[in-house]
Amino acid sequence: MIGMLMAEWRRTVVETVRYPLETISSMATLFIVFAGLFYGATYITNSPIGGGRLTTVVVGYAVWMTMMAATGDLGWSIQNEAQNGTLEQVMMFPWPPVVIFLVRAFTAIVAFVLPMVAVLLGLLAMTHIHLQWHWAAVVPFAWALGTAWGLGLIVASIALLFKRIGQVLNIVQFAMLFLILAPIADFSAWGWRILSTIAPFTAQVTLLRDVLSQGKASLWLWMESGINFSLMILLGILLFIWATRVARSRGILGHY
Amino acid sequence: MLEVTGLTKRFRSRTGVVEAVRGVSFSVAAGEVLAFLGPNGAGKTTTIKMTAGLIRPDQGTVTIHGLDLCHRQSAAVQHIGAVLEGSRNLYWRLTVMENLLYWGAMRRIPYRQARLRAMDLLEQVGLTDRAKNTVQTLSRGMQQKVALCQALMHRPSVLLLDEPTLGLDFESSEGIKNMVRHLATDGTAILLTTHQLDVAEELSDRVAIIRGGQLILEDHTKAVLQQYSRSAYAIVTETPLPSSVLASMSDLPGQVNVISSQRLQYVPRDGDTETLYDLLGLLKPYPLLQVERHQADLAEVFQQVVNSEGEV
Ligand SMILES: Nc1ncnc2c1ncn2[C@@H]1O[C@H](COP(=O)(O)OP(=O)(O)OP(=O)(O)O)[C@@H](O)[C@H]1O
Ligand SMILES: [Mg+2]
Repeated sequence: MIGMLMAEWRRTVVETVRYPLETISSMATLFIVFAGLFYGATYITNSPIGGGRLTTVVVGYAVWMTMMAATGDLGWSIQNEAQNGTLEQVMMFPWPPVVIFLVRAFTAIVAFVLPMVAVLLGLLAMTHIHLQWHWAAVVPFAWALGTAWGLGLIVASIALLFKRIGQVLNIVQFAMLFLILAPIADFSAWGWRILSTIAPFTAQVTLLRDVLSQGKASLWLWMESGINFSLMILLGILLFIWATRVARSRGILGHY
Repeated sequence: MLEVTGLTKRFRSRTGVVEAVRGVSFSVAAGEVLAFLGPNGAGKTTTIKMTAGLIRPDQGTVTIHGLDLCHRQSAAVQHIGAVLEGSRNLYWRLTVMENLLYWGAMRRIPYRQARLRAMDLLEQVGLTDRAKNTVQTLSRGMQQKVALCQALMHRPSVLLLDEPTLGLDFESSEGIKNMVRHLATDGTAILLTTHQLDVAEELSDRVAIIRGGQLILEDHTKAVLQQYSRSAYAIVTETPLPSSVLASMSDLPGQVNVISSQRLQYVPRDGDTETLYDLLGLLKPYPLLQVERHQADLAEVFQQVVNSEGEV
């Protein structure tokens, strides 16, 4: 397991670092976006730099970016590997495919988050801005990530069976924009309450926001996000296992 | 080493049901090369992929190294190496060495051991100096060689090759062929498909021919070639034969075809080995250039077997 994790990590790093122009340009984009958020949020809200409002905006954006990547990555990599002919080799490894792809999702997201955190910390140091931070926030973040992987596995299952995910991913990610950035949990109508309980992300993002701003959150919210996350990842795993089985029996693991 | 019994696979597509493979059985022993031949769409790739566990058969079993592929897949695949048809089988952005180390690690080979193994394999295929090049900068032939190395990292006892020399030049094909021979000598069981029948003839110990999803021939290559070699002789003289000599030959038992005044074809009756000498006697004193018994090659066998109707 460790050997496999290391191998996947090396592959991820090499593939990212081999073309430094891509990495540099994506880091530059991140820098510009974050800088824009820092100053933009300050001017628009006309409040002093830093504090809760900015934290919400910046963290909301960073989380949204990360979740987008986590959701799309699995499906894209399956689609590409099916076309490039490596998928069938991967399916011949002595590991269950779902384990391999979850490990890959993990290494990919570490490679995605590290540069983002570096840019963010750099900007914070440059501007002397303080964001509110509590280490407890790591838990809702991890849960949100797990939720994204669950969703990603669902998209990956579609990729396995249909080989085309562009449209699906557009819809999913559009929905995520809404689920993550809109304060659904604050809407008081019953319909919204129910949606925020069963829909992915809203519970985890609300929890994250509460933990960041107050250092704690209601027990109910903790439970809601935990259960929501567990169900999502479980659903993703089961669906993916089923999809590999169907792809095996239809003979479409490769590119047919 | 590899045993396949009663493999059957139907594909449902929009146009109906395709019976891609129907009751195929064969086995490949250690150190043996089985050439798996058949026209396009015969079911070769489907069979190979079922053997590799990439397609689940509707019926039938695959046993590798004594392990049932269906029930012990993760143990069984550790004994299989495969280079699949047309696909690249490698990560293009990684270097040759990075690729081999990655595939090695994924098959549970410790890093240091994998490194030695990779260098050893690259030396065998003559690509040591390319270890640090990314795969996308290599030629098609080199990529195919690296793909072969990749499939061999974990020393599989069964090697599956789907058209391994497709689109390769003479030099690269020779390299792959040598490697295959070498592996067979070392005891690897090899199943290979190809449309290049000369390659199959050179490499294989046994051939299997599949048509429409069914095996229609399976035997030792030598035996097959012998069986399909007709007892016909080609006789070529250095100077043209006068028509009187040509005419006198028509009385001989068997059949003499005059192809030109210098070239004859003679088909004796079954079991008749004497008349050939009478025929040669008639040709005296005209200088002979060549007397040759017809020798079938796999291409001829293949054509005859595949085109024979009604057998299936
Ligand atoms: N996944 C699939 N879905 C539907 N039909 C398939 C699938 N895979 C193969 N077939 C059909 O099964 C038959 C056998 O195909 P296969 O690829 O095994 O042939 P092949 O012997 O490898 O041919 P070739 O020499 O062209 O490589 C063909 O009719 C093909 O169209
Ligand atoms: Mg084929």
